[in-house]
Amino acid sequence: MRNITDDDLTLLFYGEHEDPALAVMVAESDQLSARYEALSNELKLADSYLPPVRGDDYGQDVWQRISSQLNSEPASNGGRLKAWWSAIAQPRFSLAGALSIVLVAVLAFTLGRNGGQEMINAPGAPFNGDSVALANIDSNRLLTHSVSGHLEQVNLVLTQFANASEPGSREAAYATDMLVANRLYRQAAASQGKRKLAAFLADLEPLLIELAHEAQSGSLATRERMQQEVRDGLLFRVRVMNKQLNKSEISI
Amino acid sequence: MAFRELVLEHSHAMFRLAWRLSSDESAAEDIVQEAFIKAWKNIGHFRMESSFKSWLHRITVNTAMDYLRKHVRRKQFETEEPEWETADQVGVTVDTGTQIDISTQTQAAMMDLSEAERTALLLKHYEGHSIQEVARIMEITTGACKQNIFRAVKKMRIALRPLVAT
Repeated sequence: MRNITDDDLTLLFYGEHEDPALAVMVAESDQLSARYEALSNELKLADSYLPPVRGDDYGQDVWQRISSQLNSEPASNGGRLKAWWSAIAQPRFSLAGALSIVLVAVLAFTLGRNGGQEMINAPGAPFNGDSVALANIDSNRLLTHSVSGHLEQVNLVLTQFANASEPGSREAAYATDMLVANRLYRQAAASQGKRKLAAFLADLEPLLIELAHEAQSGSLATRERMQQEVRDGLLFRVRVMNKQLNKSEISI
Repeated sequence: MAFRELVLEHSHAMFRLAWRLSSDESAAEDIVQEAFIKAWKNIGHFRMESSFKSWLHRITVNTAMDYLRKHVRRKQFETEEPEWETADQVGVTVDTGTQIDISTQTQAAMMDLSEAERTALLLKHYEGHSIQEVARIMEITTGACKQNIFRAVKKMRIALRPLVAT
């Protein structure tokens, strides 16, 4: 067995270690589990570093303070702004990244819940059930951050879709990628018992399917109906869910 | 106006990042405003290689660094009392006698990190960026980014270890 350093454990804590076998090694070794638990407990204390709370109207305050300075800028011309808005609304999905996040989150959760027995008690590889296993890998944090990033992209794409008069050239491709990522995250959320989040992601799927297929080839009426659906509530729900995820206000 | 929507959506997150970088409420508000103005002025430079959030974070980090170099960083740190979570809320058991120390100890430890260490740790630990994204935001290599995070984690652990009950 190679020497496992604290740097390895740090990468594991943040879900960034490139060797997936490390998680199993930690789970199988009492010593490594104890080291991982110590690191996890110490780093979790840093979560107490919370900023002062801003009111709900903070964004509006910021806007009021800066808007007069923005109006004088030449950047407000329509063409430049439109091009920029179009650029930021183009998603940068990494399906491989989404898949790996989901795998680590599910692995960590499952091992934590089952004491590791089911997944690592392979023949010839005895598992010490008393070890800390991977219960301390913060699969919740991992999944929350990942889904939040996903919803940020969904928000941008839906905003652009709701306001675009004609289909974008890569709209369908983005929607397809978004749909696959959405399913991965939904399954991960469901496996962690996050029923509300899983249900919300499931609600997104029909629209993403339509966006991937019908919005491009369907009639203008179909597109307008979908845009109306997005404007009437879906966009709002995506934003609210993302805020709740970021603030961890509710048990999602 | 689209930019207004972005300001409304990202202000809170930018404030949290700016505050953690500066440890100063009033400085954080200045940094957020300045960062949005810079974003507006540089919208033509936004590239698709990074997400919009990462791009905004890069501007916020750079603005904060500039700001901190111009101002005394620690004055507010001595007097401000932000809302802290207790150790129980963050899921860690600590001696009751040391709970009161957690907030100040964490903040002090954070401010004792170098700029690069603190920035890397904040972007990784609190903002949830991948190491690759943190490296891009900080405009350093992935290897250098990892080293900053490792050093920051080591220092934080040393500072916080006495507060964890054994």
